Amino acid sequence: MAAQPPARSRTDWRQPLLAYALIAPPIILVFALLLFPALQSFVRTLVDVPGSTGGISFARYQSFFENQISVNNLVFTIQMTVLSTIGLFIVCFPLALYLRFSNSRIAGWVQSIALFPLFVPGIMLSYALIRFLRPRGMLETFLNLFGAADGYETPYLKPLGIIIGLIWEGIPFTLLILTAGLRQVDNSLIESARDVGANTLQIFWRILLPLTARSALIAFCLNFIGNFASYTVPYLLGPAAPQMMGIFMQRTFQEFQRPQEAETQAVITFLMCLIVGLLYVYAVTRQRADQR
Amino acid sequence: MAEQSLPAALPAAAPARRSSGVTRFLRREGFGIVALVVLIVTIIGPLSTVFFWSFAEQWRYPALIPTEWGLSYWGETLSRADIRRALPTSIVLSIVVTLLSLVVCLPASYAFARMKFRGRQFFLLSFLITNAFPRFGIYIAIAIIFFRINLVGTFAGVVLIQLVNTLLLMIWIPTAAFQGVDRALEEAALDVGASRLRVFMQITLPMVMPALIAAVLLTFVGTFYETYGALLIGVPNVQTIPVIMFPLINNQPIPQPGAILSLVLFAPSLLLIIYANRLLRGGYLTAGFGV
Repeated sequence: MAAQPPARSRTDWRQPLLAYALIAPPIILVFALLLFPALQSFVRTLVDVPGSTGGISFARYQSFFENQISVNNLVFTIQMTVLSTIGLFIVCFPLALYLRFSNSRIAGWVQSIALFPLFVPGIMLSYALIRFLRPRGMLETFLNLFGAADGYETPYLKPLGIIIGLIWEGIPFTLLILTAGLRQVDNSLIESARDVGANTLQIFWRILLPLTARSALIAFCLNFIGNFASYTVPYLLGPAAPQMMGIFMQRTFQEFQRPQEAETQAVITFLMCLIVGLLYVYAVTRQRADQR
Repeated sequence: MAEQSLPAALPAAAPARRSSGVTRFLRREGFGIVALVVLIVTIIGPLSTVFFWSFAEQWRYPALIPTEWGLSYWGETLSRADIRRALPTSIVLSIVVTLLSLVVCLPASYAFARMKFRGRQFFLLSFLITNAFPRFGIYIAIAIIFFRINLVGTFAGVVLIQLVNTLLLMIWIPTAAFQGVDRALEEAALDVGASRLRVFMQITLPMVMPALIAAVLLTFVGTFYETYGALLIGVPNVQTIPVIMFPLINNQPIPQPGAILSLVLFAPSLLLIIYANRLLRGGYLTAGFGV
């Protein structure tokens, strides 16, 4: 790139050609390694069907939905994704509001600690939560300190373990996106609303929530997609059955050596996330259009 | 990390009349104090177990900290054959992916920032789809293709799959940085007779350097952690640290090796943490999400 000095106002035909040449490599990578495999898998689930003589067949989807285990896993994945995403917003929205309106030293500490997991690898996070939540782990040790350890039931290896892990993993970037959205709300707007007699709740519902809806939508979409196909947290913190789709796909592909079934599972995962993915692209596109 | 420039203006925090200093403080900071305590227990608490276990010889319930400290597990863990292979693999892989990503993305981001061409906005936004697909699902689809062209279990296969992950960040951060450079400065240098190359090296590049450093750091660390691609494409020949950690963590009676490898995996993050304030202020941390 050093060879490309800033072109001044040169707008002849060579510049677009050069630009296309420069952006081609990453664009080709995205198309070849994301869009093409996804589309190809989708087409193959309809066309490449064992025992079929050609034409479109839904037999692969049919056998997925006729299998009780796959259906259970899919339903379980949806449950875990929805619950952890809701939990994340319950945790993060009050924190983001607090960080938006307080600039005390305590707020600084809260922000530092809440953002810290951003720098923690997912697998280290799972390890830490295992040691924290498991029987006789650190949480039980704490509770024991206050004489409250009796009847401690560990969420480790239970569905709740997955939800806790996914929330923990999602806090930093959800908080980042929400606080960024709240910062865009002008202070003068809030003050003028208060001058004309709006109370805190009205300010929240009428001003803050509508103006941050887009950031919240982006955070929701990223969490939904990320959690839907997560692997590390459910594998290490969750139950052996039912399994989330990530584990299910990996086992079908590697342990049972059934790539075709894994492909069907993957395509079903895409289709489940498709609307949310489109919503995400739409939200970011609109956000950027507004900022310019 | 506190970089708030806006004054406190939460209506609920309006101090009550005639209350003492302490109650006023509690009214204003009550939520913050509760949040702080909860976060310390639920975030610092679990993370401290990693630190404690990696330096513990013995830690029996219900002791709050290890009952015996020591380093004996470090030598034992780091001399295991699979770990001695995985550590260089992880490091080399991260360096190769980061460098390749720079080579592929920097010219492109310069074009996005400075050149006029049709479909510019569309192509820039097309990188968002790296976030819009469930990653694990797409890797299954890629693995099926790689299987046919014999890329499964190869270093190149893992590099390719991890490279795709880095594109959004490596395009968007430098593009924003190149757009932010004041063109008047460059024009002024050109007017007094500096060559275009010199203008780029001495004016443009220094101004985008902080953003480039941020992008490189985030890419390197992100690739160092990356688990799914290596798990699905790398096996059985290319094993990275996160991949060999799964059997070490899952249902293991001896917790120390998992803790020690967690710290090893965490080490590059220290660079990010030192740089954290600048990352936060520059908005680089959210760039990876397309925001």
